[in-house]
Amino acid sequence: MSGAELGFGLLAFLLVGFPAIRVVTSTDLVRAVLWLAATLLGTAVVYGLLHAPFLAGVQVLTYVGGVVTLMIFGVMVTRKYDGTTVAIDGTNRLRGALAALAFFGLVGSAVVRTDLSQLGAVEPPSTQDLAFALLDRYLIAFEVASVLLLAAIISAVVLARRRDPLPEGAEAPERVALREGSVP
Amino acid sequence: MSPSLVLALVTLGAPLAAALVSVLVPPLRHRGTPSAVLTIGASLLATAAAGVLVGQDVAGRAIRATVPWMLVQGRGLGEIGVRLDAVSIPMLAVVCGVALAVQVYSLAYMHGETHRSYGRYFTYHALFLFSMNTLVLAPDLLQAFAGWELVGLVSYLLIGFHFDRPSAARAAVKAFWMTKLADMGFLFALLLLYSRTGAFSWDVALRPEVAEAVAALVFIAVMGKSAQFPLHVWLPDAMEGPTPVSALLHAATMVAAGVYLVVRADPLFTQAHWVQGGMLWIGTLTAVFAALLGLVQTDIKRVLAYSTCSQLGFMVAALGAGSAFAGYFHLGTHAFFKALLFLGAGSVIHAVHSNSMKDMGGLGRKMPITAATFAVGALSLAGVPPFSGFASKDAILTAVEGRAGWIPWALLLATAFLTAFYMGRVLVLTFLGKPSAAAAHAHESPPVMTGPLLALAIPTVAGGLLGPWLARGMGEEMHLHLGLTPVLASVAALSGLTLSFLLYSRGREAPLAGAIAALDRASIVDRTWAFGYRGVLLPLSGVLRWVDRYVVDGLINGLGWGTLEVGTVVRPLQTGRTRDYALAVVIGALVLLVLGAWS
Amino acid sequence: MTLRALLLVATALFATGIYGLVTRRQAVALLLSIEVMANAANLVFVAFARFGGAPGHPLVLFALAITVAEVAVGLALVLLLYRRHGDTLLELASEAKG
Repeated sequence: MSGAELGFGLLAFLLVGFPAIRVVTSTDLVRAVLWLAATLLGTAVVYGLLHAPFLAGVQVLTYVGGVVTLMIFGVMVTRKYDGTTVAIDGTNRLRGALAALAFFGLVGSAVVRTDLSQLGAVEPPSTQDLAFALLDRYLIAFEVASVLLLAAIISAVVLARRRDPLPEGAEAPERVALREGSVP
Repeated sequence: MSPSLVLALVTLGAPLAAALVSVLVPPLRHRGTPSAVLTIGASLLATAAAGVLVGQDVAGRAIRATVPWMLVQGRGLGEIGVRLDAVSIPMLAVVCGVALAVQVYSLAYMHGETHRSYGRYFTYHALFLFSMNTLVLAPDLLQAFAGWELVGLVSYLLIGFHFDRPSAARAAVKAFWMTKLADMGFLFALLLLYSRTGAFSWDVALRPEVAEAVAALVFIAVMGKSAQFPLHVWLPDAMEGPTPVSALLHAATMVAAGVYLVVRADPLFTQAHWVQGGMLWIGTLTAVFAALLGLVQTDIKRVLAYSTCSQLGFMVAALGAGSAFAGYFHLGTHAFFKALLFLGAGSVIHAVHSNSMKDMGGLGRKMPITAATFAVGALSLAGVPPFSGFASKDAILTAVEGRAGWIPWALLLATAFLTAFYMGRVLVLTFLGKPSAAAAHAHESPPVMTGPLLALAIPTVAGGLLGPWLARGMGEEMHLHLGLTPVLASVAALSGLTLSFLLYSRGREAPLAGAIAALDRASIVDRTWAFGYRGVLLPLSGVLRWVDRYVVDGLINGLGWGTLEVGTVVRPLQTGRTRDYALAVVIGALVLLVLGAWS
Repeated sequence: MTLRALLLVATALFATGIYGLVTRRQAVALLLSIEVMANAANLVFVAFARFGGAPGHPLVLFALAITVAEVAVGLALVLLLYRRHGDTLLELASEAKG
């Protein structure tokens, strides 16, 4: 591996990799969400380096601005009432590590063994080209995607709306205490 | 299609149609009479058709029309169809004619049955006629086998007609399994024949060993069907069936099918000299043995049953001596006079409500027509000239003398004497002397029953005249000659009758009768067969039943059990926990990756 | 930067997401892991758009839209889970037992 690659690897790790690891290992849910924001931002930077400025911008707007905000809201609404920060545990660590390593090994070995030298650097489409493509070649996909988003909105609203108020005297759902590590 | 072929198909199609209608339309059958009408109508058509066919001269010309059967890859494994020649046509006429007489007789004889029973009876008769004609008209051994098995089935159904009587049910099963056992010979013969020649025809030249093997196997089945020693024990028991059935199946036609088969397959049997030798001796032995046993029976039907057995022995001996004509001729005459005798016996039984000759006596005056026709039948059976029985028996004796040495000839002559002797006994005990208590109120049977008796008496008397015609059709010659054999035969017959009259009208018993009766009671052969059934066959079938229940069924049940067990083992995988499913997704994805990488 | 390096980074990212997918007990945390995985996939597309000229960018846009839709519905489900059980641990969603 050349120096440039090594350097890039370090950069990528700092920008994207390390935050991602913190996403999956942080025991505080709010912090995990914030680490997600960090990794997404890092990815946006990488997009910029890859001559995809538009995508970088979209990434920031939708993911960081939209998705992460949504996650924060989700965390806030579903917190326990006693005010402590939401803790999460990781169990199954061994299995997870094995699965992750297995995946990385398989695909990584495929990547390393493939001859990628034929693929040279190409200038990706400009924003204008992208716009034209969306409304020309990918028109149907574009329309379908918008329908999908509409469906998602509606289903999310339907799922999450309040039902009728609880009857008089009924209790709120109880907290359930569970054992650790109950995977077979 | 030639007119002859149409006529042949009528003999097959009419009874089949009658049977099918009776079977498929239960309301008709349950009312009784409609089935009788159908069956008798069909028999009338068949007899008429057969009569026309007889009138045609088919000497030298055979009509053979078949269609392929059991098509495998475009070629038929066998054929079904019709073969009309000088062998099949006379038999066809005999079968249809006697069947018609018996069925008409049954109209009155079976009158005491319920309507449903009556309808069932006549349905079976229609089925029988169709099956027997299938056998008679068979163009090869395969169709013959089919007809053979079918008549065996109908025999079972009719012997056990009154199935609520345990003795009848037992007799039916006994007849069925014994003949079925013997039929295995026929089956193996078919297999052997097909493997050597690729067809089932008897008209082939075979290597000597093969011909002997095939003929021997077929003869085993003949021994069963035609009640030759030692497979004869089912025939006396078959008398449990209604008397008309005994007349038709177990005297005239079905039991004679064995003899017919050998005549039919003559080109095969003439290649098997050893088998013919065996046939000669087995036939002779059966003839003597059965005649002796017939002498000591008290049940009139059993006398006639042993008599049938004995006469079949005569036929088989003739075939063994190489004269298919003599055997066939006797088959024809025997069919008429034996059916006559049985129907006459039925008339008597109907009058005194008993089968035992102890309950009879003096019926000659009370039932003149029955007595007269019975006497005619008895004289023909005994071989008194010029009745038909004399002519055919003479043909047999001549053939045996000419081709097989003097011992069988002498034994058969002695049997002829015995035949006359035991028939004389029957005549005396039944029709002469003082009536017993049961016979006091006897009266003649209605015309529906005496009519067939008279009809059958005609060929009984005059049938001998047809001998030369039959012989010519089969490529042989028959002439009446004056020689040692016919003279001795006549002497044997007349002396047998005279001696028995003298003896029995004085109320005495024959010498050695006691010994024979003891032998009969000992039933060595019968007991051996019973032991074989109970000791070998039933345990064997018990083993097979175990295999079927625990191995075959066990396998299937095991599969079911196994499936449930697998399910019980696999079910815990469905934990319902979301994380487990997430893990499953990941594992599945990894597996797919691995498969993709290593393919 | 080379294509190979990029792809390896994306692979590592995806593997990290897998670790989170298997490990996390909390529903929202699971969603976060899924986001990481989706992000890795998008990175691959963009990489190939840069090296090799594959039409990756439109695909990324659509993937983005789909992921957003999935997050929305997923969070709605998390809300339901919370309302039913008072907590959002995944073991609570175990009613599909075999």
